[in-house]
Amino acid sequence: MRLQLGYVPLCDAAPLIAAHELGFARAEGLELDLSAEPSWATLRDRLALGHLDGAHMLAPLALASRLALSGPPSDLIVPMQLSANGNAITLSRALWEAMRPESEALAEVARAFARVAAERRAAGRPLTLGTVHPFSCHSYQLRLFAEAGELDPSAFRTVVVPPQHSVEALARGLVDGYCAGAPWNDVAVAAGHGRIAALGCELAPDAPEKVLAVSKRLDGATLPLVRAIARSGSWCADPANRTELAHRLARRNYLNLDAELIGRAFAGDVILDAFGASRPVPSHLRLGTPVQEPRMKDAHWLVSQMRAARQIPHESGAAAEVASIYRPDIYSAAGIS
Amino acid sequence: MIESNLTVAVIDPSRARAAILEEGLRAAGIGRVVVIPDTVDLLERVTALRPDVVVIHLESPSRDILEQMSGVSRQVERPVAMFVDRSDTTMMQAAVDAGISAYVVDGLRAERIKSILDIAILRFNAFARLQRELSEARGELADRKLIERAKGILMSMKGLSEDEAYKQLRRKAMNEKRKIADIARAIVTTADLLG
Repeated sequence: MRLQLGYVPLCDAAPLIAAHELGFARAEGLELDLSAEPSWATLRDRLALGHLDGAHMLAPLALASRLALSGPPSDLIVPMQLSANGNAITLSRALWEAMRPESEALAEVARAFARVAAERRAAGRPLTLGTVHPFSCHSYQLRLFAEAGELDPSAFRTVVVPPQHSVEALARGLVDGYCAGAPWNDVAVAAGHGRIAALGCELAPDAPEKVLAVSKRLDGATLPLVRAIARSGSWCADPANRTELAHRLARRNYLNLDAELIGRAFAGDVILDAFGASRPVPSHLRLGTPVQEPRMKDAHWLVSQMRAARQIPHESGAAAEVASIYRPDIYSAAGIS
Repeated sequence: MIESNLTVAVIDPSRARAAILEEGLRAAGIGRVVVIPDTVDLLERVTALRPDVVVIHLESPSRDILEQMSGVSRQVERPVAMFVDRSDTTMMQAAVDAGISAYVVDGLRAERIKSILDIAILRFNAFARLQRELSEARGELADRKLIERAKGILMSMKGLSEDEAYKQLRRKAMNEKRKIADIARAIVTTADLLG
């Protein structure tokens, strides 16, 4: 059976790409046609309208699509999670130098950021930070970063910056920083324009980052697809496969970026600035088991973040509806150990 | 019915395609049509223009920027919404098939933007057809050149007339159930290697 799957070229699309490249899909009798989508909005629309059977999707956007908060009506379900964590907040070198935090600790960095952000707002030149889509953990992590420094999130502007524009936007001063997924923070660090200031896994430990969203129409093909991608995800999570994975993702038809930069996300050793300062962070990007299992607790966390961002009203029935979107029962039925 | 007091922004990574849509909208009587380049400062340009409708190609990575300008973010003065007429899925399918998405300022009535979307779908489909025809024509031209070269090679190596050379090519293609251009390519490649 042939399936059309969409993804946005990022490190955490690895389980889909490896499922195709390394034969995990074929072992389940599936042929995957993978398409790199130019934006999250287009990926969402193509899944909702039936051009795609399934997709690598921002977890909050999957919920928003099905809850009729974003894009055309959709019948998607979430039978598995693809990744936890992986995002980081990169700030411009100028902003980092103005902050001068006393240590690398999140609380210190967030307080230093809050101080500069408040000064800039008072001076009538508020800071501008980038996110990838309104319905993304990136948006929520920017808010959590502000709160960690006891700063009102409205003290800075939030704008969407497509990842491929992020480094240029930082270099030209159009944004003072952004929250993005791997490898876009590493790209800015390597280019000498950015400093990784905070990691997603510190702001919200094991936040549900990307999910596999599939159309309900898929029906009987869902189980073999979940099995193929879950096995692929476990392969991707094995440290022994990191180099091969990075080289496969680096190819022109996938991420089309330097394999060394892509590999940094999987290595768990985060390089923070152009001078090579680094920090071991094993949970920076988590793939494979057990994060692949979709947990209702995570779905409810997403709903609480959407509420905090005022994307859904407090009294809405979203919390009850997510029980029909997140489908741990399908994941269990797939029999992944 | 198109109204002349609307401002429409067109965002498309393909400048040629954007120009074709711009012309179509102008011809239909839209007061102001502005093509915005798909560059890193797109948000500033859109904000400064204050368009009533943004027509954006699905290939553009900047679509997510427009989603940011929606009512959800509550940070913009004139929030836009994706044009999704839930009662008309045929229209939506046609738009996505043609590669289009549209964002409209909140409060603009659906019927006012439908005619704009209709023009965009027609123009984008025509552009795709033209491109397909152009690439087919280019392929045919290249095939003809290959066949001419292969004929020349056969004529000089085997002392055949032009007509005999062509007949040999055609017979070989029929026997092997391949296209004449494929046989010609094999001959040209071989001659290049051996010559």
